[in-house]
Amino acid sequence: MLTLGLEEKNTFLEAINKKSGANVLECYQCGKCASTCPVSDFMEFRPRVIMQMIKLGMKEEVCMTDSIWFCLTCSACSGRCPREIDIPAVMEAIRHLTIEENYHPKSKKVKDIRKFHEIFLDMIKRYGRNYELRMMAEFNIRTRNLFKDMHLAPKALLKGKIPLGHESTKSAKAIRKMYEMAEKLEKSK
Amino acid sequence: MARVGVFTCFCGANIADFVDVPRVVEETRKIREVRCSIEYKYMCSDPGQQMIRDAIVQQRLTSVVVAACSPRMHEKTFRKALSDAGMNPYLLEVANIREHSSWVHQKDKKAATDKAIDLIRMAVAKSIANEQLYEISVPVTKRALVIGGGIAGIQAALDIADARIPVTLVEKSPSIGGRMAQLDETFPTLDCSQCILTPKMVDVASHPYIELIPYSEVIELDGFVGNYKAKIRKKASYVNFANCTGCGACWQKCPVKVPNEYNMNIDKRKAIYTPFPQAVPNKPVIDAAHCTMLLKGKCGICAKVCEKGAIDFKMQDEIIEREIGAVVVATGYDLWDPKPYEEYGVGRYKDIITSLEFERMVSANGPTGGVPQRPSDGKVPKTVVFIKCIGSRDEAKGIEYCSKICCMYTAKHAILLHHKVHDSHAYIFYMDIRAAGKGYEEFVKKAQVDTAATYLRGRVSKIYKKGDKLMVRGEDAQIGQLVEVEADLVVLATAIIAPKDNPNLARLLGISYDKYGYLSEAHPKLRPVETAKAGIFLAGCTQAPKDIPDTVAQASACAAKVCGLFSGDTMKKDPMVSKVNTEFCSGCQNCVTVCPYGAIVTEEIPMGHGSKEMRVVSKVNEGVCQGCGSCVAICRSMAINLSGFTDPQIINEIVAI
Repeated sequence: MLTLGLEEKNTFLEAINKKSGANVLECYQCGKCASTCPVSDFMEFRPRVIMQMIKLGMKEEVCMTDSIWFCLTCSACSGRCPREIDIPAVMEAIRHLTIEENYHPKSKKVKDIRKFHEIFLDMIKRYGRNYELRMMAEFNIRTRNLFKDMHLAPKALLKGKIPLGHESTKSAKAIRKMYEMAEKLEKSK
Repeated sequence: MARVGVFTCFCGANIADFVDVPRVVEETRKIREVRCSIEYKYMCSDPGQQMIRDAIVQQRLTSVVVAACSPRMHEKTFRKALSDAGMNPYLLEVANIREHSSWVHQKDKKAATDKAIDLIRMAVAKSIANEQLYEISVPVTKRALVIGGGIAGIQAALDIADARIPVTLVEKSPSIGGRMAQLDETFPTLDCSQCILTPKMVDVASHPYIELIPYSEVIELDGFVGNYKAKIRKKASYVNFANCTGCGACWQKCPVKVPNEYNMNIDKRKAIYTPFPQAVPNKPVIDAAHCTMLLKGKCGICAKVCEKGAIDFKMQDEIIEREIGAVVVATGYDLWDPKPYEEYGVGRYKDIITSLEFERMVSANGPTGGVPQRPSDGKVPKTVVFIKCIGSRDEAKGIEYCSKICCMYTAKHAILLHHKVHDSHAYIFYMDIRAAGKGYEEFVKKAQVDTAATYLRGRVSKIYKKGDKLMVRGEDAQIGQLVEVEADLVVLATAIIAPKDNPNLARLLGISYDKYGYLSEAHPKLRPVETAKAGIFLAGCTQAPKDIPDTVAQASACAAKVCGLFSGDTMKKDPMVSKVNTEFCSGCQNCVTVCPYGAIVTEEIPMGHGSKEMRVVSKVNEGVCQGCGSCVAICRSMAINLSGFTDPQIINEIVAI
């Protein structure tokens, strides 16, 4: 049972609106986002439900659900939303909030997805761009699934989809600086 | 010898697909009296009509049969064609071979064709006995009666009066204004209800063509379109309006306190009162049910303080008679009593109120000075739950229909709550949001986005008390979970119902009403303003739930209908009315009893030529008679005939098959 009317203000809604720049209140629950979303079938709470849950201030449920991590940020939902709500931005805002406030969904899938995000960002920080081979290796090691997608490797290597060495970019330094500045900003908060 | 012309229509494929028209023409040509039988693709078209006109002249026809669609569709068209050719239009007969043959016998073309031939044979036989008839002229009394002084009645009265037609406006309560006078702001523009209504109320009072009779009721209506006689009972107000200046000394001093209907009984008024400050007329009346002077003969303070001596405790009800030509009924609506919702604790919990009570609370001239309050402790509520569809769309406890305006006024209430109590939050339980109207959807969006009202899709299952809060339990279907709202105040959006008196009024006026008590229009789509009785029109919620724009539009439409009716000094009417052959009439008066329109009266005529002894016979008032034929059927001595459907005509038809 969800009890409403206890809090004077819906701080969760306010935080998400502020972070995402969207206004979740605009949602009138038509469900076009949910039926558009390519992964909504895998979701516990489809985007429409997430929007309503934010409106009702159901912070725990929204931050602990897997569904927000399944979002691909493909923007199909927002492209078709009749009220033009930036739903991927809302999803992103929720993900940020979960990290900031240390919500840890228990499912392995979410843990893997979060690791993937971390490794990807780490690659960019190191090389200024993605280094696929290392990223794959690290992901497989950290998720303890060494041979994951290994059967695809020969084909991909032959087609030159996975370069063996990494190519550095001219702006790698600048990108690293950006990271440092962002981290500083984050700490000063 | 009769000379009949038969004109058979293909009606495109409507008739021709299922009726063998060439065979129909061939067969009907064999009928002895038929001079010509012609077929055409569209008889109602101009070339089709021209064929009829030409045949009438060339063949010197004595009557015409058109075999086509229902006479409801094109009888007028063909009658016009006859009169254009110099023939009496009532010598036309229409054989309905579309609705009565081709459309209902689509599986059997031969049978459909045979039936069509029979129908035409009957029509030909009937037309031979047709007589020349002439339209009846009925004089018109150019005065309209408007029943009900809400926004519908006010608008209708003003529009009719602006056309310089005198109007008598009858209002049951002491002031005009109706429900709209109780509203704070109106959706979707949030303009103040009083501010837009009171100028119209003042216009009514000062209009030279409007006679306003407040605190009165129509008790009788006799007559027929253009010639009604209305009896109006003016209830004793015990205040002589001619002397009263409306100073207010009387009601300030009156010691008797009575629940105030205008404020939904939230506060008290006096036994002598004006319903609200902007009342029109702004004169007090004494509530005879509560005044101690009238009940027990003690008090009389008002009479003592009145400097003008306007109080008259001996005043009696007065009967006013008016001759009128048309009636506009605008009796408005009532609110459904939510008592059956026991699971909500209606009646048990003080902090559950109806929407109109909330409306009065947020009104600046309301009992709480414009700020909502919990009836239990007078505190300003922070969390307010609005529940829609109370009684509406509830077959078990209320009524089946949608009350149409609740979605909008609940959105308005959420916005108003936010205006009056900034740190409040509105939760709205709804089943659907019906916002069809100009600016309506945008208005709901405003409530949802700007006001941040939380819409929860579901009906509330129960309300229970927890401390001084009300716990409202329902399901939010959007997340598929049970929710409970801890509320300070619960507002029920109660359904609109027809006024309790509507059935009585309908009987009194001779019009029909539906199972809910709403007065019935003549046609749900094409005649939404007229009733089945000529000269009586409907405006506003008395016909069905409506918002203010629709009500005003319908009221203005009524005015247009009334003005149209009064555009000439006389009215034309079809001559299909009953006629009494006084020679045969035995004076049994069965026809008087059976006539649903009260069109038959009795008169005395001499027993014989030059005789002084008199006998009673029936007489038909042509203006009232609608040609239903009930009297013809009941008449034992066959003294009554219905023009256009006389015995010889009907017998001819029967003999023909």
